[in-house]
Amino acid sequence: MNVNFLISLVFLIQFQAFCQKEKGSDPIVFEIKNAGITVEGTISDWEYEISFDPKRLDESSIKGVAYPVSMDTGIKLRDKHLQGRQYFHVDKFPEILITSKKITTKGKGSYMGVFDLTIKEVKKEIEIPFMLTSKGNTKKLIGDFTINRLDYGIGESSIVLGDEVKVKVNINF
Amino acid sequence: MKFKTDQLLKKLRISSFIYWPIFVFPLLWGGKLPDQIVGWADEIKIQIPKVWTDEAMEDWELPNSNPEFSAKPVSEEFYYNLPERVVYKTYPVYHPDHEPEGYWEWLHQQEAEIVLDQSTLVTEEDYIKAGELLFGYPIDTLGALINTQHVRNKDFYAKTNMPLTPEGIMPFAQWVVAGKGKVYLGNLSCAMCHTRVMDDGSLLKGAQGNWPGDKAFAFAMESDGASERGVQGITNILFGSPFAEGDPHGKLLASGKEAILAAYRAVPEGAFGRQGTSILFPPQAPNLIGVKDRKYLDHGGLGQHRNIEDMMRYIAMNQALDFLNFYGDYNSIGLTKERLNSGEPIFFPGTYDRHSDAQLYALAKYVYSLSPPINPNQASQLSEKGKIIFAEQGCVTCHTPPLFTNNKLTPADGFEIPEDHYDRYDIFDISVGTDHGYTMKTRRGTGYYKVPSLLGLWYRGPFLHDASLANLEDLFNPVRLEDDYVPTGFKPHDVKTKAVKGHEFGMELDAEDKKALIAYLKSL
Repeated sequence: MNVNFLISLVFLIQFQAFCQKEKGSDPIVFEIKNAGITVEGTISDWEYEISFDPKRLDESSIKGVAYPVSMDTGIKLRDKHLQGRQYFHVDKFPEILITSKKITTKGKGSYMGVFDLTIKEVKKEIEIPFMLTSKGNTKKLIGDFTINRLDYGIGESSIVLGDEVKVKVNINF
Repeated sequence: MKFKTDQLLKKLRISSFIYWPIFVFPLLWGGKLPDQIVGWADEIKIQIPKVWTDEAMEDWELPNSNPEFSAKPVSEEFYYNLPERVVYKTYPVYHPDHEPEGYWEWLHQQEAEIVLDQSTLVTEEDYIKAGELLFGYPIDTLGALINTQHVRNKDFYAKTNMPLTPEGIMPFAQWVVAGKGKVYLGNLSCAMCHTRVMDDGSLLKGAQGNWPGDKAFAFAMESDGASERGVQGITNILFGSPFAEGDPHGKLLASGKEAILAAYRAVPEGAFGRQGTSILFPPQAPNLIGVKDRKYLDHGGLGQHRNIEDMMRYIAMNQALDFLNFYGDYNSIGLTKERLNSGEPIFFPGTYDRHSDAQLYALAKYVYSLSPPINPNQASQLSEKGKIIFAEQGCVTCHTPPLFTNNKLTPADGFEIPEDHYDRYDIFDISVGTDHGYTMKTRRGTGYYKVPSLLGLWYRGPFLHDASLANLEDLFNPVRLEDDYVPTGFKPHDVKTKAVKGHEFGMELDAEDKKALIAYLKSL
């Protein structure tokens, strides 16, 4: 199926350090092509922990855990199948983990993070550009990335289902 | 010499004279006699596989949903000791009102004519042609289902609503002439269940058939005055599965003759309670057009289909050899293992002889050669819209183009997939929630249903594995999920209403989208 994980992290922060651990408010959105049609799904249950100081990026970190049992593609039976052993196998692998390893600035609220993404015990390093902004007391992190679902053993090669999954993350805190 | 060279050319598949100078003259010029050349050609001709080997039969079929009672077929030695079938010329069966004058008397004047000599089969085309002959050839002349008295009785046609061709031919059985004056009604050809009389009266061989077989059998038992014990006995032979949870067929037998006959009559055209299946959970008659591309055979995916040998095994087994299977210690015709292997012949329809491997090969080749008729439902703006809906609704995941099946097995509700099955079979590990009776409570049940192909929906029906819905429109009608629904296809004999649950996709589409989706489905 469709594993689309889009983590779009936008951090707009003004030069203040903060540390926060929360449940994700907006669902993680993923997109995948199926028979030429873009199918969108969400994972609504997830948490993040952010420790961020734009002046000390080497000491900053972003972690997230998502629970694919909360997946919703609009078709219940499809969700159940995606949660089964041939896709996410949520009974055995209930969590998807993402952990930053290195964050560098790209200028004015724009960053590049190197993350370890772990799905079904397959850990791979990925790069995610993200924005971190702040407006009043509200901060916002937006980022997105694309993975190949086959790299993580999510389903099998298919003539109708795409391999690439786009994942978008939007955090307001 | 002329005959030998002709035979040689055929064996070498050389039909055009232009190849003579290239292949044949040099050999003859080189002093090779036609006999020698024919011998060489024999060595390169089609090799017929031996299909019923102990090793192959061991794991060709999937286990029963209750694995202790998985089928144990007869041994290779037993199988190859059975005599090979002889194929006599057959003649059409007419409705009495349409039978040509003097036809019956004429039939009785005919001599037996053996019409298949497998030693003459050389090319693939030869085998396909022979396969077509065998496809229509009845393996029973003992009246396994119906007999002469039934088909010569007008009531038979009226009470079964029997489809006929425009000539008044009932195409599901044939007259077999086994000698002068020996005219027998032939039953149990492949064509019996896999021939469809289309609306215009034409015949579509290999399609989901519309032989009202269970109604016909009920008529036969009733008109013959079968006793309650007799009706119970044959029904047990056909469907008995005392090892199934709740023993539903045992309960049916206990309900008495009238209830059993009602159960037969409840099975609609397009479904058939073949041996080992059920009239309580009757399977839709499978569409064989395109079966070459299926990875599993039977609605429950009982037989793996990895190569032509598997298809040959399936044909051999399903042409009644499964009556000799043991399910644990249970055998449906009451055999003990000692009696089975005593060396004495067993006279039960379809079990005292067998197809030769060459005949099975021919049948398989014919079935593989079946192609669909031209679809009158061409692509349109509406069907193109339906094509997009088909993708949006996720239908493509299971009904994946171009075969419109992903060729996988889905578990039925209540079946727990054994761990090793994930490596051995093609599993789509989600139930779509359709009725589980067929695959959980019959001798052929595996716990799975195979994902059906949607190709040819326009000429098929009724739909779903149990033929419970007569029309595609019914499939998308949420009313079918209610307990007060009257199924438009198969409805069990002992209920007035029944929800048809499962495969609950596309139910929330609006009317226009449903129309478009159905237009697309009918264009496949």
